[in-house]
Amino acid sequence: MRRAGRVAAVALAAGLVAAACGGSSGSQAGGAGGEGAVKEGGILRLGTMTGIDSLNPFVTFQQDSYSTFEYIYPFLVQYNTKTLQYAPDFATKWETSADGLTWTFHTVPNAKWSDGQPLTAADVAWTFNTIIKFGNGPTANFSQDFTHIDSIATPDANTVVLTYKTPVAVVLSNLQQVPILPQHVWEKYATGNGKELKLTPNTPQNGQPLVSGGPFVLTKYQTHAITLFERNPNFYGTKPHIEGFGLEFFTNDDAAVTALKSGQLDAVESIPVTSVATLKAAGLNVFIGPGLEFHDFIINSNPKKTTNPELQNPQVRQAFEYAIDRASIVKTAWLGYAQPGTTIVPPGTGAWHDSSIEGLPFDLAKANQLLDQAGFPKGSDGIRVANGHPMSYTVIFPHDETGAGDRAFQIIQNDFQQIGVKITQRNMDDSAAFAAITAPGETGYTSFDLAMWDWVPLEDPDFILSVMQCNQYGAWSDSGYCDPTYDQMYEQQASTVNVAARRRIVYQMQEQLFNDRPYIVINYQDITDAWDQHHWAGFVESNQGLFNPLSKESLTQLHQV
Amino acid sequence: MRGADYIIKRTAFAIATVFVAITINFFLFRVLPGSAVTDLSRVPHASPQLKIALAKEFGLDKSKWEQYLLYLKNLTHGNMGISFATQQPVWSELAQDLRNTIPMVALGTFLSIVIGMATGILSAWRRGSASDQISTNVAIAFYSFPTQWLAMMMLIIFAGVLPSAGMTNPFIFGTPTFLQHMKDVGVHMILPSLTLALTLYGEYTLIVRSSMLETLGEDYVLTARAKGLPQRTIVRKHALRNAMLPTVTLIALSLGYIVAGAILIEVVFSWPGIGRAVYEAVIQRDYPMLQGAFLILTLSVVFFNFVADLLYFRLDPRITE
Repeated sequence: MRRAGRVAAVALAAGLVAAACGGSSGSQAGGAGGEGAVKEGGILRLGTMTGIDSLNPFVTFQQDSYSTFEYIYPFLVQYNTKTLQYAPDFATKWETSADGLTWTFHTVPNAKWSDGQPLTAADVAWTFNTIIKFGNGPTANFSQDFTHIDSIATPDANTVVLTYKTPVAVVLSNLQQVPILPQHVWEKYATGNGKELKLTPNTPQNGQPLVSGGPFVLTKYQTHAITLFERNPNFYGTKPHIEGFGLEFFTNDDAAVTALKSGQLDAVESIPVTSVATLKAAGLNVFIGPGLEFHDFIINSNPKKTTNPELQNPQVRQAFEYAIDRASIVKTAWLGYAQPGTTIVPPGTGAWHDSSIEGLPFDLAKANQLLDQAGFPKGSDGIRVANGHPMSYTVIFPHDETGAGDRAFQIIQNDFQQIGVKITQRNMDDSAAFAAITAPGETGYTSFDLAMWDWVPLEDPDFILSVMQCNQYGAWSDSGYCDPTYDQMYEQQASTVNVAARRRIVYQMQEQLFNDRPYIVINYQDITDAWDQHHWAGFVESNQGLFNPLSKESLTQLHQV
Repeated sequence: MRGADYIIKRTAFAIATVFVAITINFFLFRVLPGSAVTDLSRVPHASPQLKIALAKEFGLDKSKWEQYLLYLKNLTHGNMGISFATQQPVWSELAQDLRNTIPMVALGTFLSIVIGMATGILSAWRRGSASDQISTNVAIAFYSFPTQWLAMMMLIIFAGVLPSAGMTNPFIFGTPTFLQHMKDVGVHMILPSLTLALTLYGEYTLIVRSSMLETLGEDYVLTARAKGLPQRTIVRKHALRNAMLPTVTLIALSLGYIVAGAILIEVVFSWPGIGRAVYEAVIQRDYPMLQGAFLILTLSVVFFNFVADLLYFRLDPRITE
């Protein structure tokens, strides 16, 4: 999830959607593959701009680290990236009790870690219990995945039973994000205050690969450079076709594109939209599909903010939305590789997205009319006057948004000029931008007026809906939005296990946010991955790209042609 | 004894500089808005306790003065602390980055000094000739190019011929022999080092040229000419040595900054060096990494300046008079 920190942070979990299929329109091109005769073997050379900051699950917060864990560790469940339904991984099947409090998972029998040690339900229980035990300290980055849990039991080596105190709607979504660690390797760190759990680098040592339980073992890691993987002969599931793969980290996306064109790489994740045409012209395959990431225009919605009160006026917010030309932004800033935005739950999440909500059309006349009605006449310089001061505001603009975001800002700025509103870009690095938004202090939210930023939500809407709660001040909130009714709905959806009933609440929440406009969602960004289709086929694309933390499908189905 | 006084003064000055820099390094980064804790605690399913746990873990729950004293105490024990972002000791992280950076930047700097001095001397010697015009203008052009632009051009021109990123072929499974490894690193180093050399050499050309021209116009050079000494001897023994003073300063400064890496070049060529590490540490507000990197940079700059001061003393005896 990007956003101040989301930069990377969220990305992590963020990871979840799937989608080459996703339900939203606009995907095209690509050919996720599968075509061509399967040739066994080969090493895939994959370029990435995200990188791995740490291989320790309790430390990292980069998306590629979580994608890596997906391929080297067992998870109880994964996604089917085509249907967005949960699919078996280490758990072959599961059932829920009628009251929704007990979840029983049956795991693969006779499974082994890459070092030959048995991989059983005991590893699952140990991992989960360790996270819960040290949840206020070293394992706090996973502890919310076990909210409301009462106990974890392993009646036999192949069964895990999770008992909750209250019904939880997101059990599978949460468990899909928690890697199962080898107890025999990690238990020595889980002593005392658990500090060692964070201090161990979890990298291959003395030429020995990481003890892995997924389709690949991690054999080599160099910070900010390379991570290498080889096929794990002990993997409990379908073995990959490829012998292994390497992830090369680039700090410059043009260099990655150049390397792909010149044959130094086989595939690159998230290529810049400006390179799509070049790569296509060079005969490479470019996949374009709906992603989860969205970009938004933020209006400070803290009810306690007293300066520039006109920005709290619903008519002004509507006028702003009428003055944002989404089509032009998609076309000019994103070169067409994006979709106009509406709600904070993106279409990439499938049925969680309320497609009945339609963004206000671009209509400067209507915007001017609304501002006139609100009683903010234009001054001699063409800038409107509200509450005795010109409608002139600063837009906090984090580094995250540079590039296409700059182009989007310029389009908005020009159109706002025509409705008598002056906006100025204030560039800052992400950390400083977040501090400016929360100022004064860490939970103030009274200084800033406007901002722009992006999010990469998860496949399940719980997370992205959670960021708008009052209790997210100083944590995830970047709008100061706080509404008790909304918070109530959030709690309600989180405990509604029935999917249809929960969806109704999720739709209501989207509608409320759309009408209140703490965000004007500008656009949803497409996934843009590229690879050499003359030699490779079988990538399973998703809303998180071809290398994702959603499922083990992509690189196990990949093959040479 | 004047010489000894001079050395003692310079040494004391160097030590004081290091202490002041250490202190400034500590407070400077803490003035930046934003915090590592806020950044690192924003993980989607983190508990609200994560923020408190991180602040405690990083020692940021203590007062600034306590943190400062602790920092000084740790430094006296040679302990630079633990990186906020990676949870690994700062020194081991920095040592790796330095091992990656120094050969590439040192080669680039060395090449720039050699090319710059050669072209500078040549230009001064053949002042006003076509070769002087060309050499000076080319030097100015390279000096003016934005580093990242030149790096991108090199990348595009040599795409497919030379590797575009990293310092080794990353996709080698198994362990290469030492020779294979050296060759691999060498090939990867060509583009970044050459880019660095091209962006830096112009400065040397211009400075060497102008100081050479100054000395070539001196009476003692005229005297040497009148004595019938060969051109080569005049340039080498009489002009160049006297023209070296400003160049020595420049070289010392350049050498001092080798440990700072070359951020723009490292970013364009995805070189896993210290410049990039510092940049990331700033973004992440990783105070221990920043303090560590700036400490090393301070020590290096102060050391090379100290060496330059001593060389001055040797090159120009008038300093002690």
